[in-house]
Amino acid sequence: MPKGMFVDTSICTGCKACQVACKEWNALPHEPGHFRFDPVEKRPVAVNFTGDSYDNTGALGATDWRRVRFIEQFSEDRSRGRWLFSSDSCKHCNDAGCLNACPTGAIVRTGLGNVFIRQDVCIGCKYCIPSCPYGVISLSEATGTVHKCTLCNDRIHNGLGTACAKACPTGSISFGEVADLRSAADKRLAQLKGLGYGEANIYGYKEAGGLNVFYLFLDRPQAYGQAESVVVPQKRLPVSSSVAIAGALALGGAALVSFRERGSREENEEVKK
Amino acid sequence: MNPEVHIPGWEWYYVAMYFFIAGISAGAYFIGTLAELFGGERHREISRTGFYIAFPLILLTPPLLIADLGRPERFWHLLFYAKSGIPYMNFQSPLSVGSWALLLFGAMAFLSFLDNLVSEGKLQSAPFAKAYSRIPRKWYAVVGSIAGFFVAGYTGVILNVTARPLWAATNPLVGALFIASAASTGAAAINLVMSWRKKLTDPGLPGFDRFDRLSKVLELVLAVALVLIAGRWAAPLLRGLNAVMFWGGAVVLGTLFPLAAGWYGTRAVEGRIPPERLATVMAVLVLVGGALLRISLLQAGQVQ
Repeated sequence: MPKGMFVDTSICTGCKACQVACKEWNALPHEPGHFRFDPVEKRPVAVNFTGDSYDNTGALGATDWRRVRFIEQFSEDRSRGRWLFSSDSCKHCNDAGCLNACPTGAIVRTGLGNVFIRQDVCIGCKYCIPSCPYGVISLSEATGTVHKCTLCNDRIHNGLGTACAKACPTGSISFGEVADLRSAADKRLAQLKGLGYGEANIYGYKEAGGLNVFYLFLDRPQAYGQAESVVVPQKRLPVSSSVAIAGALALGGAALVSFRERGSREENEEVKK
Repeated sequence: MNPEVHIPGWEWYYVAMYFFIAGISAGAYFIGTLAELFGGERHREISRTGFYIAFPLILLTPPLLIADLGRPERFWHLLFYAKSGIPYMNFQSPLSVGSWALLLFGAMAFLSFLDNLVSEGKLQSAPFAKAYSRIPRKWYAVVGSIAGFFVAGYTGVILNVTARPLWAATNPLVGALFIASAASTGAAAINLVMSWRKKLTDPGLPGFDRFDRLSKVLELVLAVALVLIAGRWAAPLLRGLNAVMFWGGAVVLGTLFPLAAGWYGTRAVEGRIPPERLATVMAVLVLVGGALLRISLLQAGQVQ
């Protein structure tokens, strides 16, 4: 039975405990410091801020397996406003672009449905990086291989939940069987709709064959930086390769005509002589 | 299309150069094969030159590919599954199938290269020379050509089968475009080597020139169509250095100019520039255009 996570963004407070727990459990290096002592100004100056609210990673990557997004929505005169939070990670797609693209078999799906990169097999060809429709994976210069969230592979195969879900103080991130999580999500969605959150929606039932890590959003997925129509890249493979073959055949035809005709013309010329 | 999709960070001097050199090799081999199969005695020199070009060039490409890996020493994982050592192929991954195609093409190019040496009498004393000349060269030339087309084309399919906006939006044309460019750069390389070896016969070989023209027309049509179908995602190809490389290099230098020169130019410069000099210049332009085509598409897809 596939395990996964349900991220109910409606009760996220943006505390980043998940981000910290992820870094600690997975022994990921810390973010670069936000202040640097400037020898000329003789005082600390701010560096490495994303300029995007309280987001301090800007993207998911080899050392950032969790990213808390901060979405500030204010009216023109700032009289009305709301602040949306969403903890984002690898979605462990059922039709995973990265896994499909991997030429070495380094990216595998375990018995619990999570997509896992085997570090001793990965060669660092980087093809999985643009093949992930969510921009999750990236290369680590330190190891020469790619990294991403493992769904705490070591923990979940030993009866524990993910570190981020464990650390979440509001229950925004819950870990469990995907089927159970889905029914909980449906209930929560119905409750929110009843409370007047008309735009609330669940993201991840249909996308990329179904996401094992899925979300409840209070606004359109795009507001949270999630692609609204996700195409798993390999869906393009049949047409792309067919057109390439057609191109090859067209050239083959062109060559046949060119060389054959020349041959016969040569004969004709010889006959004339 | 999700602009948050990460860029792979493929270096143009490794990956685009691999696309380019493998394309020349495959194109030259294909033309060599066709000249061998369907050409008359006058085409023999073309096929010989094509086979002489193909193998050394394809030999250059694995180092380029391996150099771009994060863990170069593990390159063999592309062919053998690291955990068991059993040959491995992932049919959904053009990169995986392409690695095998590259191996097969390399092997066939090697056979044709040897065959050239044997039939030119350069390996007469080798113990295998006699037995070798009995292997029907046409067979491996056909297998090698198909594998060569695969090598030339999969490099484009690789780009289409990703989630990067430009590469995904240009689906499904990049594979076909790279194949057309492989043919025209292959023909240019053959021209160049033949003129260098002073084997370019006057007034040239019209069948060969005609094929060369057709491949350039196809390349031109595909390059323009690709930008049109990409719509607003083609923006990185329309500004900055990438636009100069794509339009100025790949389209104008690589296809339009040589085509125009072929149709009008020879008359205009008749008597002033020797035809073999003109052919050499055009061949160089086509090669430069082919390289810039690969570089611009690779780089434009990696604009953040």
